[in-house]
Amino acid sequence: MSISAPRYVQGPTARVGRPWRILAVVEHEVLRRATWGPLLAVALVWMIVVLEVVVNVYFATVTGGSVGAAFDSPYGSVIWVLLLLIVTATVGAGSLADDIGSRAITLYLSRPLRLSDYLVAKASAVGTWLLIAAVGPGCVAAGVSAALGYVSASEALAAVAGCWAVGFVMAVFFTGVALALSSLTRRSLYAGVAIFGTVLAVGVSVSVVSGITGNSDLLYADIVSNVQSIGDVAFGLSPPYPTDPLASTAVLVLTGVALAALAWWRLTRIEVVGE
Amino acid sequence: MNSDTRGPRAPPGSLPRQIRDEVALLVRSELLRVESVTKRFDQVEALSNLSVELAPGTVGLVGPNGSGKTTLLRLLMGLIPPSSGRLSVLGLDPQREPLRVRERVGYMPEHECLMPDLSAVGFVSFMGRLSGLSREVAISRAHDVLEFVGLREERYRKIREYSVGMRQRVKLAQAIVHDPPLCFLDEPTSGLDPQGREEMLRLIGILAKLGGHSFVLSTHLLPDTEGLVDQVLLLNAGRSLAAGPVSELLSQRSTETVVRVKGDPSAFAAALSAKGVAVRSDGSELRVQLSDPDSRALFEAAHATHTQVRYLGPSVRTVEDLFLSMMGEGSRGSGP
Repeated sequence: MSISAPRYVQGPTARVGRPWRILAVVEHEVLRRATWGPLLAVALVWMIVVLEVVVNVYFATVTGGSVGAAFDSPYGSVIWVLLLLIVTATVGAGSLADDIGSRAITLYLSRPLRLSDYLVAKASAVGTWLLIAAVGPGCVAAGVSAALGYVSASEALAAVAGCWAVGFVMAVFFTGVALALSSLTRRSLYAGVAIFGTVLAVGVSVSVVSGITGNSDLLYADIVSNVQSIGDVAFGLSPPYPTDPLASTAVLVLTGVALAALAWWRLTRIEVVGE
Repeated sequence: MNSDTRGPRAPPGSLPRQIRDEVALLVRSELLRVESVTKRFDQVEALSNLSVELAPGTVGLVGPNGSGKTTLLRLLMGLIPPSSGRLSVLGLDPQREPLRVRERVGYMPEHECLMPDLSAVGFVSFMGRLSGLSREVAISRAHDVLEFVGLREERYRKIREYSVGMRQRVKLAQAIVHDPPLCFLDEPTSGLDPQGREEMLRLIGILAKLGGHSFVLSTHLLPDTEGLVDQVLLLNAGRSLAAGPVSELLSQRSTETVVRVKGDPSAFAAALSAKGVAVRSDGSELRVQLSDPDSRALFEAAHATHTQVRYLGPSVRTVEDLFLSMMGEGSRGSGP
């Protein structure tokens, strides 16, 4: 092996600022997750949502039904939530767990980055994937529907706004879930199973108990009911809603933020340098 | 030098404040200053009232496992606060300005911490960007430093396919990619075979000689520091045993002379004592307080007791000797 000195000459070099360093982490993390699993999961969401919405909008225009209900159709279904869960598990499970497991977190935090910068960057990366999965197909479906002449431009724009409202809330909630559960383990597989298991177990058990006891307040712990309510309002549907939409939005957003805070607390307990 | 490896240029006479600050820091004469620093973890005192001041150069941070080396590195990078005391790195307070300190510091951890699914060039350039290099500069420097550490041919391979030695080189490359004035190298030869160890020390030696870089080489392998460091901080149980330039410390500790004789060492020692020379037995060797005029007394004692002087030399010749000598004093001092 030959050894030669680096060609660069030592000297002061202007450095980019902290926001650019955070952006570098976001970019790296978004690209890092672009593997077969997440790409297939997102493609599946896009295919199902676009097809479902465009077909429903077509039938709504033919039968004179509610266009809003047609755009809302995916967001009231368990399948959409399940698909987002798959995206969350494939994209978010390793977001922190991989760095904890490989101890690459040491290298991040030995650089000019704060722990909060690191977590914000990771959350942004997971959130980006979730926004692509949750908001993207609805917007495309609205565009396709308008292009095919099924709806007017204003109806399509209103649908895009509705997609953003539902998708953003869901992205915040699932990002929090992913970060919290990913911070608890060194193995992304365990985190993925936990994301799936926790959300499904809570949703199913709450629905069952709520059905038996007739206590509708319990539905605030059910992700599907919350999404239904938010979607109904976002796409201009009339009441009754399964839950109060404003309260559901608050529950999902605050839960997401609280879970992200849990992840932050958990990361502060991790030894950064050394054993 | 390639023009693309430079940072953004500024017109002469109007250097950005960031660069002026950087230049001001680089010309400082002080590398590290630790003032009465104590660090406690619950009931354990990892560092006890540690005070040391070190000038730019290559510093050996030496001590056995658990002596507080890694805790000191964490404090110096501003990752944990001291329980008491103050620290300064390149003139900056790591507690008040941790990000400015870490912009100027490279860190090579002891343990495995690489991202196995990345190529070496992707990983090292990413680390450069985290340190504030622009994308173009980071990529260019990643290629340079990987060539320097001998991974030119393998730089596009995934890190997971690398041997232990190659991974250590990648760790060194990521520590120097942003051209920091100060590098913390934590056990850089850990897990390497003798040839790999030799190569790693050679690389560090070349970097140290390039100028403009200071290194803190944390190790429990004392031979790693030989010929490489010009200053040393010896730590044991969170306390400083010795600190300062190696040459000074060795000369201060070399007042004793080790003597090995063939014959009756006790008779030889008695004869020396009778001549007023301080002598003590240390296993099979004798340690003699010998100044130049007394060397005659040594050979007279040998002649008188019919012993042969087989070895005569300073008791402390290396950092390892110095450390063992200080440790020996420490254990004698703390004994019953």
